[in-house]
Amino acid sequence: MLTTLDGVNIKVREGEVLGLLGPNGAGKSTLIKILCTLIMPTEGNAYVNGYDVVKEGQKARSCIGFVTTDERSFYWRLSGRENLQFFATLHNMPQTKVKARVEELLDVVHLKNRADEPFLNYSAGMKQRMAIARGLLNDPAVLFMDEPTRSLDPSAAKSLRDFIKEHIVGEKGKTVFISTHQLDEAEQLCDKVAILDEGRIKVQGSPEELKESLSGGGSLCDVFSFYTGKAFVEEISSPAPFTLRRDRRRGRGLGMKRKGF
Amino acid sequence: MIFEKALWFIKRGYLLQMSYKFDFFLRMFFMLFNILTYYFIAKMMGDAAAKYLEPYGGDYFSFVLIGMAFSGYLMISLRSFSESVRDEQMMGTMEAMLVTPTSTSSIIALSSLWNFIFASFRVFLYLLIGVFLGVDMTRANVVAALLILILTIICFSSIGILSASFIMVFKRGDPINMLLMGTSELFGGVLFPIEVFPTWLQSISHILPITYAVNGMRHALLQGYSLGSLAPDIFTLALFSIVLLPLSLFIFDKAVIKVKAEGGLVQY
Repeated sequence: MLTTLDGVNIKVREGEVLGLLGPNGAGKSTLIKILCTLIMPTEGNAYVNGYDVVKEGQKARSCIGFVTTDERSFYWRLSGRENLQFFATLHNMPQTKVKARVEELLDVVHLKNRADEPFLNYSAGMKQRMAIARGLLNDPAVLFMDEPTRSLDPSAAKSLRDFIKEHIVGEKGKTVFISTHQLDEAEQLCDKVAILDEGRIKVQGSPEELKESLSGGGSLCDVFSFYTGKAFVEEISSPAPFTLRRDRRRGRGLGMKRKGF
Repeated sequence: MIFEKALWFIKRGYLLQMSYKFDFFLRMFFMLFNILTYYFIAKMMGDAAAKYLEPYGGDYFSFVLIGMAFSGYLMISLRSFSESVRDEQMMGTMEAMLVTPTSTSSIIALSSLWNFIFASFRVFLYLLIGVFLGVDMTRANVVAALLILILTIICFSSIGILSASFIMVFKRGDPINMLLMGTSELFGGVLFPIEVFPTWLQSISHILPITYAVNGMRHALLQGYSLGSLAPDIFTLALFSIVLLPLSLFIFDKAVIKVKAEGGLVQY
């Protein structure tokens, strides 16, 4: 099912990590798929690395990487190496470069010694590392990651977050657009967080700015509850057990004051 | 670059096919059964149908072997593109391919390449087994046969792309596939000559591309007709191709735009 996006206005600077935070069904995946040219917006404009995703889809796709959590997005009966070589070719990479690039990435994600095994033998963590390696094949200017740690255990998730922070952001300086519904992940990785709910951006800013926007401070969880009126849980299907209502006119919620940004 | 991509799609198809070895050998085995069935039917018939088979050399087994072998291209063309779409959607690999700079139409076309190569391998085996069982192809006009084959593939593929457009939008229930699969086998002259039909029914045969494909192929391979003698079949297949190919690509592009706007490109 597609969530209708409305009035979404986000700018991400080069080298910045934007975290898209929201419950299931908020529209995170829809927004990422629009930016990856998988879905066409019915209205409005979206640009990736300066390219219009509708009019210049091919150019936009040449400078993006997409990391999905869907394990099925690989050919399970092919080896990890064969999978990466296949997808590298789709990125218009000459065969002379494909092998070197794939070897380099297998090394980066620590899968070189298992690269010739069928993908079906890999653990969830290894599959996710393969997804990241695939997302980096074309050395993209912008990397989209749709809930990259969703199916991982806490240890594998931490290891992946460290990898994103140290290698992708720290060493390579990529612009990263990451959707998550894990607050610690957003706080740890992101320069900027946008809270999306029911297809609308409720608020955006750096994690510190967002927390300071509440009188007396608070956590990202409080920020989320304040702007959406919902408690932040893995699956949000009902309003928060406590009521935090946002008074738009006066900028007041219950015990929390919205500062002007 | 398109050549390198094509090679990788073929390699992917081959590796996936070979990972299901039992299925491969089973298909080959039952193909032999199929050929033998018609071989003995032909033996039983003897010269009983000589009147109808005379324009094709007079031998029913040779007639039906070419019909079965080349009608396989129609089946593959009709199914291959739509099945490629559906298989990639079901396997979950479609999205990962569509975020690359390779266009959607190239992905669908290249995804079907292996199926055509596999179909050609089957045709080759059909003909080889046929020769072992006494089919005479010593007079074959290979150049004309290859020309007819190329036109047949272009023509059938165009219909297959139309079929894939329906599958992409409606997911299931493709009228083109159902209509052509059903009518081609009966009216296309695959298993028996269309001259068996009353004249008014033969007019249905004349609007089906498969009629010209198997007719031309029989005359080229069994009787060694010259390009000039084969001109009516070649011209008609070329006409079908000229009309159907741009039409199918146009409709496919529209279908991609429609499903992208609806977000249904990776749904099945």
